[in-house]
Amino acid sequence: MASQSQGIQQLLQAEKRAAEKVAEARKRKNRRLKQAKEEAQAEIEQYRLQREKEFKTKEAAALGSHGNSAVEVDKETVDKMGRIQGSYQQNKEAVLGNLLKMVCDIKPEIHANYRVAG
Amino acid sequence: MALSDAAVQKQIKHMMAFIDQEASEKAEEIDAKAEEEFNIEKGRLVQTQRLKIMEYYEKKEKQIEQQKKIQMSNLMNQARLKVLKARDDMIKDLLNDARERLATIAKDPNQYQTLLEGLVLQGFYQLLESRVIIRCRKEDVAMVQTAVQKNIPIYKEAVKSNIEVRIDENTFLSPDISGGVEVYNADGRIKASNTLESRLDLLAQQMMPDIRVSLFGANPNRKFTD
Repeated sequence: MASQSQGIQQLLQAEKRAAEKVAEARKRKNRRLKQAKEEAQAEIEQYRLQREKEFKTKEAAALGSHGNSAVEVDKETVDKMGRIQGSYQQNKEAVLGNLLKMVCDIKPEIHANYRVAG
Repeated sequence: MALSDAAVQKQIKHMMAFIDQEASEKAEEIDAKAEEEFNIEKGRLVQTQRLKIMEYYEKKEKQIEQQKKIQMSNLMNQARLKVLKARDDMIKDLLNDARERLATIAKDPNQYQTLLEGLVLQGFYQLLESRVIIRCRKEDVAMVQTAVQKNIPIYKEAVKSNIEVRIDENTFLSPDISGGVEVYNADGRIKASNTLESRLDLLAQQMMPDIRVSLFGANPNRKFTD
């Protein structure tokens, strides 16, 4: 009977150790899942920093190019204005003369729809 | 007892080993599952957030591109308007010069007399009335009288109709204008304005496309000119 009782105790201890082993594994699992979040977060943060850096570079380039564009457009405008001014100076007198000539050039005519009575 | 103590002990050892084995297998299974779920979860989280970040920055980059286009568009617009305004200013300048030069026309009596004759007759034809009133500058009355006398027979011949003309000696056109006449019907409700200024304005208005081409050259963007 003593030996039977001893045997039962041994079995119970074995069960207990087994349960502890499984419980320990479950705890490890939970810790691992938590780690997953932490590692994911770290990886994400690194990616975010990388994209931010790339973005800043592009932004700076864009702003810089805007400055360049403004200068270029201004230069183009000045060129165009110069050409227009030159063209105007060259042709103004002729156009003016032509206009005044036409003001004085009168050809009185009866309206096309007028019909002489009788 | 069916079994000896030794046999019982052996059986118990066996059972304990079995229990331990089961536990170890269970633990290993849990560990493997943990690792799998770890990878899945981490991958899922990384992917989700990564996509969000990508979306965010792509959006910002698009905004920058958009902003850039808008700024460029504004620049081009301002430049274009600047050019157009300059051209407009030049044309206004031209027309102002033209108005100033109108004043010189009336200073040549012979030229101006011929001009008045044309203007008066044109006014007659435009109204086609049997009775008309003419207004002119005070200083032009004599010349207009001459023009009227000369044109009445011409009108009668062309229109086959009589015309009775009165020069309004109570109301005159402003001395500030360069010359010309205004011709009214009998009750004064219809007016044919043949002053030099109004002729210039009409000409400028109708001929603006030609003026632009003469001054600045043909518009390369224009495909039809009829």
